[in-house]
Amino acid sequence: MILHILNRSPGGSLVYRDALASMGPDDRLLLIEDGVQGALPAQVRHFEPVLDRLFALREDLVSRGLEGRCDEAVQVVDVDGFVELTEEADKTVSWF
Amino acid sequence: MAQSDPPGELLVILRHAPHGSSWLREGLDAALVAAAFGQSVTLLFQGEGVMALLEGQDSGALGQKGTSATLEMLGMYDIESLYVDAAALARFGLTRDDLLLAAEPLEAADTPAILAAHPQVLVF
Amino acid sequence: MRYALLVQGAPYSQQASHSALRFAMALPERGHRLDSVFFYHDGVYNAARLAAPPQDEPHLPDAWRELHERHGTELLVCIASALRRGLLDEREAARHGKEGHSVEPPFELTGLGQLIELGRRCDRLVTFPP
Repeated sequence: MILHILNRSPGGSLVYRDALASMGPDDRLLLIEDGVQGALPAQVRHFEPVLDRLFALREDLVSRGLEGRCDEAVQVVDVDGFVELTEEADKTVSWF
Repeated sequence: MAQSDPPGELLVILRHAPHGSSWLREGLDAALVAAAFGQSVTLLFQGEGVMALLEGQDSGALGQKGTSATLEMLGMYDIESLYVDAAALARFGLTRDDLLLAAEPLEAADTPAILAAHPQVLVF
Repeated sequence: MRYALLVQGAPYSQQASHSALRFAMALPERGHRLDSVFFYHDGVYNAARLAAPPQDEPHLPDAWRELHERHGTELLVCIASALRRGLLDEREAARHGKEGHSVEPPFELTGLGQLIELGRRCDRLVTFPP
């Protein structure tokens, strides 16, 4: 299982499409930095194929005022949870 | 995997076109160094990275180095496992005949297996 | 586990350095060891000795130094990326006939081979791109 890390918003960059196309059936996707904008209910449809494996970093949501606006399908993790996701994965791949 | 060779140790995904930024060059540098250190390296030209493979590139107006000379040296470093994003080629209206290297077109459906097969993946 | 980080974003221009630092600080608390941080591309500016951010902003070069002092984390700076951007330690400054130097220990200028070696030696290599 690979942890994919995405720091770009689907509203501003198409890199998310290549990230999604590169994901295997068990791989997970973590949204960080501007990527957390993808966790908004109006944006989360872009991640439809991986909604059951979609995570977002809490502190990047909080600093942007988005924590309470996150779609309920998204699993919000703090930085310890980020570390834990890297533990559970065989490797990580960061997209930008 | 689309080819019968055993998968490499390092997959370098190149997603940036030449000249506009140094990502392509720096990604290739990482690949060459890894190969020089004895790792077997696979390259995947993805998205705008497919532009790196176009024939007829040149240096910049101020003499900025391009990357096509580096690409021609890949064989000397035993980097022979080359893939190109088939969907991106089509998006830019390119075919295999436009490419300066014989890279194997990779369909989106086959991409996850390539990533899974390499213990280390770097994206540039 | 043994971790290494690859930082490729410029400090104060992109969030990458802050994200990497936060991740780095969380590792020991979960029982991991951060072997090394490798700075590549614009990430090399994290090693700028003369960085003088306003006092009410995080001081990234100092924060990396503190990480080194507390946990022995190596701070490796890609020499090819650094020299092009005017980041030279005393030895390189002398070699290139420059009067001042802009990188000092614990940051070390080193080759890309170190990054490849980290990938092989560490259990996890996590990249923080721009």
